[in-house]
Amino acid sequence: MTLWEIKTKQTALIDGLDPTLVPAVMQRLTEMGFASGQSIQCLRRSPFKGPIVLQLGDCVYSLEQDIADRINVSMN
Amino acid sequence: MKNIILVGKPNSGKSLLFNQLTGLRQKVANFPGVTVELKSGQFGDYRLVDFPGTYSLKSLSRDEELAIEKLHEAMLSDATSLVVCNLDATRLERSLVFGLQVRDLAHKHNKGVVFSLNMIDEVQRFGHEIDTEKLSRDLGCAVYALSAKSLIGLHEFKLAIQDAAEHPEDFLPTIKADDESSVLQISRSLSKRYGLKADIVLKKQNRIDGFLLNNVLGGVMFFIIMFLLFQSIFTWASPLMDGVEMALGDMAAFVSNSLPDGIVNDFITDALFGGVGSFLVFVPQIMVLTFIIGLLEDSGYLARAALICHKPLSYFGLSGRSFIPYLSGHACAIPAIMAARTIESPRKRLITMMTIPLMSCSARLPVYALLIAVLIPDTQYLGGLLNLQGITFFILYFIGIVTALLVSVLLNKMTESDKDKADMPFILELPTYRLPHWKPLMHRVLTSGKQFIKRAGPVIFWVSVFIWVLGYFPESGELQSSYLAMIGHWIEPIFEPLGLDWRYGVAILVSFLAREVFVGALGTLFGIQGADENIAGLAANIQADGLTLGAGIGLMLFYVVALQCVATVATLKGETGSGKVAWGLFVGYGLLAYCMAWLAATFI
Ligand SMILES: Nc1nc2c(ncn2[C@@H]2O[C@H](COP(=O)(O)OP(=O)(O)O)[C@@H](O)[C@H]2O)c(=O)[nH]1
Repeated sequence: MTLWEIKTKQTALIDGLDPTLVPAVMQRLTEMGFASGQSIQCLRRSPFKGPIVLQLGDCVYSLEQDIADRINVSMN
Repeated sequence: MKNIILVGKPNSGKSLLFNQLTGLRQKVANFPGVTVELKSGQFGDYRLVDFPGTYSLKSLSRDEELAIEKLHEAMLSDATSLVVCNLDATRLERSLVFGLQVRDLAHKHNKGVVFSLNMIDEVQRFGHEIDTEKLSRDLGCAVYALSAKSLIGLHEFKLAIQDAAEHPEDFLPTIKADDESSVLQISRSLSKRYGLKADIVLKKQNRIDGFLLNNVLGGVMFFIIMFLLFQSIFTWASPLMDGVEMALGDMAAFVSNSLPDGIVNDFITDALFGGVGSFLVFVPQIMVLTFIIGLLEDSGYLARAALICHKPLSYFGLSGRSFIPYLSGHACAIPAIMAARTIESPRKRLITMMTIPLMSCSARLPVYALLIAVLIPDTQYLGGLLNLQGITFFILYFIGIVTALLVSVLLNKMTESDKDKADMPFILELPTYRLPHWKPLMHRVLTSGKQFIKRAGPVIFWVSVFIWVLGYFPESGELQSSYLAMIGHWIEPIFEPLGLDWRYGVAILVSFLAREVFVGALGTLFGIQGADENIAGLAANIQADGLTLGAGIGLMLFYVVALQCVATVATLKGETGSGKVAWGLFVGYGLLAYCMAWLAATFI
């Protein structure tokens, strides 16, 4: 499943990033901590499929659907 | 003079640290061509240069690309004696990813590095302690814990960088040769060993977000905050403006009484006090606006606002990141157009830049304020909480925003075919909520006032003098038969359909240089006419002269839409790299403005 599909307050483990992502975006996401094995929690979602708010490591990020859909996760 | 460069990721408290190290004497230099803003200030015998905050040494947006380019240049330069890298002690992992990249770069170029571990006051508040000595050893660089806010450790840090800048060779980073792990792995393990637990740090932030990002309450709060912002421009600033106005009025009366009647007296009261003075009145308003935007930015709310706006703005082909340039466009279009660089997607960036001039910048404030004072009664509602003039203000701003969104949709449709396949996505970090520190905020507010005067003052001065001369001669003081009246009558047919006479025509024409000139020009024109009246009451003069409601509203709409600012056109040309885009917008918005004004004058 992808990061976009997890529900509010759920925690998941990152499996990996979609390899077809633009290299610059891939690099940035990795530096932000979106790397396999990292645990990630969905803090909230915005109405009308707006950006999702996530806690990863010591930071809170917001990603839109386009990108959250390309991060693979699995529930533990 | 040698340079010390200061780097760090955004929201690490870098600006505050820079302020504390340099005091309030700073210079903002715009590098020609690229216009990356590099602030520099004096630190002892060194020049401290503040680099724009970036998350990584690999760029994602144009903004970062330019900043990183400059950083590489500085690393190569002999003038750079030391690199100071600021870390956020509460978010060690993320700060270290950038910090380690900087360390490696400095290592490559043989530059000394000192780390400042900022926000240590917050770490202490959580009852945690960071062993900086051990961290120094693990990083292979000197680390100093400090708080730029509560000033803990700042004195020691100053001594340390003074020393390091003198002997950079003692501060070269040492990197263990056998270390194969990546920057990411190192920062993760270091933050696990030294840092705070993420949950503790994020608890307060998540609680506030639960309220401010709530699906219902968050939206309501957003509108309340924005509405208060616009109300306060009017209500908070008005005592200040009255003060300036009164002081100028008294000064004018004093000067006028102590000089003999004649041309010199007329010149000083009409051209100087009437023209230049009527524009100075608006400086407090610009400062209040800058203050509130700065407050929202430093507290961390603007990032939330970008998040809330992302989905709605994406329907218009914009990004949530367009919100911040749009908002600062309400102070001035020029920095706003530059702020659009943080938008990763090139197409959204272009559309944002092209529509920013529709945001009602502070140069329009004098024009709006004058026309509102003339046309709209000062009626109070809800015991003074709302007033009709404030509401009209809000509506004018709102019309600008709506027009911008509609133009965005249009531009988006027009560029649909060359849509970027690799459009950059929306990725945003939500920083911790913090109480802003007054020092950098006040500095910003003062700078905004000073820059406004510096930029517009000379133009307004010369235009006022020019208009006064044309309006005063050939028959000293007879406006109706002056040179200006001749020119005015010649262009009157253009403005007649808008219900405006030649005096407004002249004022509009000269305000194509810069909008705020309009008020000064009218001030001079009405000043010449009513030579012995009180100069301060320009609004009262216009009211007495009789401006119809339709024409007045048309005039306001004209100023909402028209791109009357030479500096903005130049900036647009620079940032979009196309003179055609810039002048196209100038003509396009001009025509649109004229049509709207005509509709208002005809149908109201
Ligand atoms: N508690 C605390 N707050 C700080 C400290 N340094 C900066 N801040 C606050 O953190 C926020 C972001 O700081 P700023 O200097 O704008 O960060 P920049 O984006 O790195 O330039 C502001 O509200 C500052 O007042 C510090 O040492 N301790």
